[in-house]
Amino acid sequence: MTRFVARRLVIAVVQVAAITIAVFLLIRALPADPVATRVGFNASPDVYRKAKADLGLDRSTLSQLGTYLGGSGTERGLLAGNLGTSWASGSTVASEIGDALPITLELISLSFLLAGAIAIPLGMRTARRPGKALDKAVFGYGLFAGAAPEFWWGLMLVFVFYFKLGWAPAPLGRLSPQLQAPTQRTGAILIDSLLAGRLDAFWDGLRHLILPVVTLAFVLSGPIMKMVRQSMTRVLGSDFVLYAQAAGLPPRQVSRSTLRAAFGPVLTLTSILYGFMLGGAVLVESVFSLGGLGQYSVKSVLEFNYPSIQGVVLVITVLSLVIYLVLDVLLALLDPRARHR
Amino acid sequence: MTATAPTVGHPKRPHRLIAAARRDPLLTIGLCIVALSIFLALFGTLIAPKSPTEPTGAPSEHPSLSHWMGTDASGLDVFSQVISAPRTDVVLAVSAALVSSVLGTLIGLTAGYFRTWWAEVVMRISDVLQAFPVFILGMMLVALSGRNTGNLIVALSLLYTPIFIRLTRAEVLTQRNRSYVESARAMGNSEWKIAFRHVLPNSLAPSLIQLSVTVGFGILLTAGLSYVGAGVRPPTPEWGLMISSSANQLILGEWWPSVFPGLAISFTVFGFAAVGNAIERRVGG
Amino acid sequence: MTDVSTPSSAVDQEVVLEARGVCVSYGEGTNAVSDFDLRIHRGEIVGLLGESGCGKTSAALALMGLARHPGRVSGSVLYDNRNLLEMSDAELRDIRGRSIGLITQKPRQSLNPLLTIGTQISRVFRAHNRVSKEEAQTHAIELLEAVGINDASRRLTAYPHELSGGMAQRALISMAMSSRPQLLIADEPTSGLDVTIQAQFLDRMWERAQATGSAVLLVTQDLGIIANYCDRIVVMADGRVIEERTVREFFLSPQQEYSKRILAVQSADTTTNPAARRLEGSDALVEVKALSKHFVLPDKRRLQAVQSVDLSIPAGHAVGLVGESGSGKTTVGRLLVRLLEPDAGTVLFAGRDITALDAKAFRPQRARMQIVFQDPFDSLNPRWTVDRIVREPLDLHGLGRGEPASNTTHAEKQQRIAELLDLVGLSPDTRNRKAAALSAGEQQRVCLARALATQPEFLVLDEPTSALPPAARVEMVKLLADLRRRLGISYLFISHDLWTVGQVCDEVAVMYLSQIVEQGTRAQVFEHPSHPYTQALLDSVLLPDPTDRRVDRERKDLAGEIPSPVDLPAGCYLAGRCPLVEDRCRAERQELVTMGDGRSVRCWKVAPATRSAS
Repeated sequence: MTRFVARRLVIAVVQVAAITIAVFLLIRALPADPVATRVGFNASPDVYRKAKADLGLDRSTLSQLGTYLGGSGTERGLLAGNLGTSWASGSTVASEIGDALPITLELISLSFLLAGAIAIPLGMRTARRPGKALDKAVFGYGLFAGAAPEFWWGLMLVFVFYFKLGWAPAPLGRLSPQLQAPTQRTGAILIDSLLAGRLDAFWDGLRHLILPVVTLAFVLSGPIMKMVRQSMTRVLGSDFVLYAQAAGLPPRQVSRSTLRAAFGPVLTLTSILYGFMLGGAVLVESVFSLGGLGQYSVKSVLEFNYPSIQGVVLVITVLSLVIYLVLDVLLALLDPRARHR
Repeated sequence: MTATAPTVGHPKRPHRLIAAARRDPLLTIGLCIVALSIFLALFGTLIAPKSPTEPTGAPSEHPSLSHWMGTDASGLDVFSQVISAPRTDVVLAVSAALVSSVLGTLIGLTAGYFRTWWAEVVMRISDVLQAFPVFILGMMLVALSGRNTGNLIVALSLLYTPIFIRLTRAEVLTQRNRSYVESARAMGNSEWKIAFRHVLPNSLAPSLIQLSVTVGFGILLTAGLSYVGAGVRPPTPEWGLMISSSANQLILGEWWPSVFPGLAISFTVFGFAAVGNAIERRVGG
Repeated sequence: MTDVSTPSSAVDQEVVLEARGVCVSYGEGTNAVSDFDLRIHRGEIVGLLGESGCGKTSAALALMGLARHPGRVSGSVLYDNRNLLEMSDAELRDIRGRSIGLITQKPRQSLNPLLTIGTQISRVFRAHNRVSKEEAQTHAIELLEAVGINDASRRLTAYPHELSGGMAQRALISMAMSSRPQLLIADEPTSGLDVTIQAQFLDRMWERAQATGSAVLLVTQDLGIIANYCDRIVVMADGRVIEERTVREFFLSPQQEYSKRILAVQSADTTTNPAARRLEGSDALVEVKALSKHFVLPDKRRLQAVQSVDLSIPAGHAVGLVGESGSGKTTVGRLLVRLLEPDAGTVLFAGRDITALDAKAFRPQRARMQIVFQDPFDSLNPRWTVDRIVREPLDLHGLGRGEPASNTTHAEKQQRIAELLDLVGLSPDTRNRKAAALSAGEQQRVCLARALATQPEFLVLDEPTSALPPAARVEMVKLLADLRRRLGISYLFISHDLWTVGQVCDEVAVMYLSQIVEQGTRAQVFEHPSHPYTQALLDSVLLPDPTDRRVDRERKDLAGEIPSPVDLPAGCYLAGRCPLVEDRCRAERQELVTMGDGRSVRCWKVAPATRSAS
């Protein structure tokens, strides 16, 4: 097991390095002009040249890469753990991502909990009774929920629950403007408000999170449900479940074995979706102005803010790979056949 | 299972698709939507009753007989925009899906069949690409190289090629171990001939299913990129852009400029997904 | 012979289980089983015979009130005067696994992949007996030992995927017999196993049933199994019982037309060969010298598939290559037509070393040698019609015998395709069909037509009959023997089925774990086998003859499992299983020694090596 994890870690490190370097080269190879965006298109050549040198873009790409990785002078590089400084704000990329990441994690974790709570029981039930009305309804839902863009669902929910019914707060952030934010510790508003003992902030934060979470869960539950159904159907029709019945095993044992055997593929899909959502929640974050990692990356890209782009990509990649690693370990614990791979 | 009961010989008839559609309502609906969207992609701008890029009415008019879906905040006719948008959305998604499927299938075939060192390199690159946050990569490619249709197609194709490589390669790996491949070799076919004449046609099913799904993804991604301001530039009629520019009005109760393009996206993506699903049930089941 | 009409009169007449009018249906459409009636008495072994797809598995499961998801069972199954199909789930559970045990066709899939064998056996035992976990574990070890698993306590911690098919089947039977059931239902329990393992397993099952007094319902397609192990036979076709008799009676005089036909098929003897002759003078068409081949497994271990094999096939002769799984016989076949490259050794074809040619120069030679594989459906491009499949070799090589392909006109090809289909006995209207629309027998004929298209001189037949149902198998054997006579073609006939080899071949080579262990004429090898492995192999053949049952005679059993070719024993490869084993066998590699009568044997006890002289 240790060797297995070690091997996966080595591969992950290589992948992170490859992606980092690829992104570094790619953004400099594309025809964008970050200098002009900063000084304006009518700036004099001198001003332009000076700005270019300030950003370090006057040097060769390889030398820029060297600085980015190894640092220069007193400034530490990526290898020493420094993600660099944002070209737009002047603060460190690490601190900006540190603010944005918990928001996204909180949003998508809650969404996955809700999606799982809907999808797993429904998927199991439809697998046991294929072809029934519920099965057909769920099939149609899966096809349609995935067809509409999630930002549109979000907007529709805002229209109904904010404009028409007035039940939800305006989609303008994580807390009502008149409320003071609780002291930041984890960055996740629900946890922070509880830690600070601010129940008012907790409820307000929860109210602001409901619509975005529902929107994401709505989109996520489709594929999860499909996978639960598929996986359960396969296991229910398998020889070993039939044999367990033939051997007269108690029903609780049989259904526990069934669930365990069906769980692997569902876990795999969920992990992949979770990794995808780290950057993919951007549209919902935008609709509700939550200011998470996705929105931060949009801002960085549109501002041609290279260090920030680089930082976001790095953080998302590392997180995804960590998730996949944990997934592989869990799968190996779950299924003895996976231990030898 | 080998077939024991000899089935009736089925001579090829050109109307197989129509016959299949009659038996399968979901496929019928899907095909109608796909046909309509392709029709609009070709002729939408011509049959639009009003200009999709010039104000033709007062700002924010309710749907009425002269403006079937109302007008947006700048006075543009929503209906004309909705039916002109496939020129961007559908063309873009279909071309990207075609480019990536052809490219991915060919790379997947060679990587899976010949298993040479460079095939390994290609697989590793596509692995790295897949571990990449898709939306951010797409946004980066488009925003940094210029927000126009051409760049969007290139970006989308690049994003979706790894899926096709992976699917085709997996299928090729199982097909290459089947006895008909060995028979072809024993008969004296060259390896290239075996790969292209025998293995390729038998490895297309997963890509075919994925093709339809990818068109849907492409439309969603195009719209998403526009929504955050990293897609095509206004005033190009494009569904995501329409929703984005009307999102602020929605909070004030003007639902029509964002509801209709959203529905258009949903129906189109649903149509392609339904066709993909029908192919899957036919080929895979 | 006078009492044969009363079924198993020696056994007491108490009925264990009775099925009346049982139907099984999966969704809409016709029933998989309809009006199935069956009565099983205490202690008797009933054989349920039928071809695949006739509903015998569904019927067998229905006797436990079971159907595969989403099937339904109706009718009545009386056990202990109570109808199983009307019982509550709890009552059913009490009977399943305690009073009625089951072993299935796919033992490895029937075991839970996520749990160890030990856990699974003790769970089943604890579901029906009030014992502690520790007691159940101890009992599990005893059960495994009872079915001949030596290191039982170590096997308890194994997962199903770590077991061989034979081992998994034994774990399953120890589970099924753990509560000493009144009835054991065995659904084609040996269908995936090698012949020696099959015999071993059925012997164990028979012994266990005798020891526990259980009745057995043995579902099978094989008349040999019925004849050797069963008291009574029930024949099924199309979901119905069509005949029910004692086994002796059945083999003497089957009543139904269908039964007569399958009986005729399985005990057919089509030997069309003249007595095996050895053309000493004639040149060998194929001459193989010291051929070796190994593979490297994904985990980097080395698998020795073929080890210094010598083989000589004279023109017009058929040589049989016999062996069980892992023996390397299939690899030899592929090496001979150069679908694999050997590590060492030469393959002379018509005097020319084909292993020395480069790939491109060799390609035209392929017209002269062809191969037919085991799985006919898998061997045909599923998207092509028969016409296109048979035309492919003609497009590549023309009509064969050296002419360039471009000389052959379209009309000539069409003519040739028609000839070929006729030659293999296919009707002309198969031409426009695809493989999926043909039966397995027809598919294999298409493969044969394709192989013969370019008039090859040599054909490798790699288990060409193993994937076929019994009737088609006999037809195929007849066809192959006939084609050889008419076309004067040479065969290397690879098979694990000794009967088919005997029908087609003049000479036989027996392979065990990468080596040839015995080689000689058909009569020498089949009538007077001298290597202990050949003897055991012949002894494991279950002949469809109830008057000479395996369970009644003394057996020349091989012990244990076939060793893995990754981890070959130090001395004689058979040493671990051989009944004659001595210390010298374990220490010494064996040489293939040619004896006075022309046969070769690899065993120092039978053929003392001349090697000691050198």
